[in-house]
Amino acid sequence: MAGASMKDIKLRIKSVESTMQITKAMQLVATSKLRRAKERMENSKPYAQISSQALRAAVQRCAGQSVPFVQERPVKNRLYIVIAGERGLAGGYNANVFKALAAHCGDTPYCVLPLGRKAIEKYHHAGVELLDDQYGRVESLGVKACYRLSRMVAAGYLQERYDEVWLVYTSFRSMMSQEVQVEKLLPVPPAEEAPQRNVDTVYEMEPAETLERFVPDFLAGRLYSALCDSFVSEVASRRMAMDSATKNAGAMISDLTLRYNRARQGAITQEITEIVAGAEE
Amino acid sequence: MAVFHLQIVTPDRMVYDGDAERVILRTANGDVCILARHIDYAAPLGIGEARVTDAQGHTRSAACSGGLLSVSNGEARVIATTFEWADEIDAARAAAAQQAAEEKLRTMQRDDVDYALAEAKLKRALIRQQVKG
Repeated sequence: MAGASMKDIKLRIKSVESTMQITKAMQLVATSKLRRAKERMENSKPYAQISSQALRAAVQRCAGQSVPFVQERPVKNRLYIVIAGERGLAGGYNANVFKALAAHCGDTPYCVLPLGRKAIEKYHHAGVELLDDQYGRVESLGVKACYRLSRMVAAGYLQERYDEVWLVYTSFRSMMSQEVQVEKLLPVPPAEEAPQRNVDTVYEMEPAETLERFVPDFLAGRLYSALCDSFVSEVASRRMAMDSATKNAGAMISDLTLRYNRARQGAITQEITEIVAGAEE
Repeated sequence: MAVFHLQIVTPDRMVYDGDAERVILRTANGDVCILARHIDYAAPLGIGEARVTDAQGHTRSAACSGGLLSVSNGEARVIATTFEWADEIDAARAAAAQQAAEEKLRTMQRDDVDYALAEAKLKRALIRQQVKG
């Protein structure tokens, strides 16, 4: 009995050890990816920030005019651009994104543009209409792909396939916290602050036309920076998850080793008792 | 010469952030030159050569396409789709892109939805080669 259980424990330790090796390797991979991903995120921020300032100025200038990208219309259908990961094993990263969408969409019918294999699988199974299902690898989506996507999204919006466009992504706060954001892209939300003195601005083209040309560019930049942001979040939350998995495995191994030693000691004690008992007879 | 603050950004990086004497850009309606104390201004960018003269008076040229030029409060911002300095341009790649675009245009009808896209690609490839010189 004691011998069999010793063998069982030994096997268990071995299997936990090999799992630990995997989680440790994944943690290392995530750590090394993190630096580059963070750099990419930092580089994508200036464009998003500067272009949104320029967009707000143009929107203010166009107040009262009918520009399709700005004008609200009755919402019959929504488009959600959902950024998730390519793989699981990243804590709640993917699930949080899907939860945020489910909480946001209410009863309004919607279609989805999923980015990341997990998102594609999820909404494919759910039977939601997908705009495109070719973008499985968030990591390798570059600026070019973002322009392609933004042109597609803008064209669909102008054809009134959907009346609102929302972006669901994960924003990187710190290594410990990443937060899912649901952001309205189209129609472009009106600026909160009162119009400034920018009415003096000379527009080479009609402000409305300038805006119409610029919105797809803005969308592409926004999409790219959200992708970079989400990818950093994914890698960070994977690193965290794998870190705690490795720690758990370590704790399990030390617990199992203790049990193994006890069982071994028990077996020796029993053997000695048996021998001593035999000698006494 | 007087200088002004110029920022040039593309989605994946900040290309230029500093003082400049002069910047020449191709807008959708033609070339414009921005100098210090320019009036507030906004124009969509076309595809063309850009020339930036920095505070030391050195001029660099670049291939620039798409986006928006905006000047406000004396600061100029170039929000471009692509912006590559002449020394960053890969001439072989541009030549290959030109060929691919020409090939594509030959097989297309004028009213094709992608015709304008392919045309823009060709234009970009030609400008890149021209800037590279």
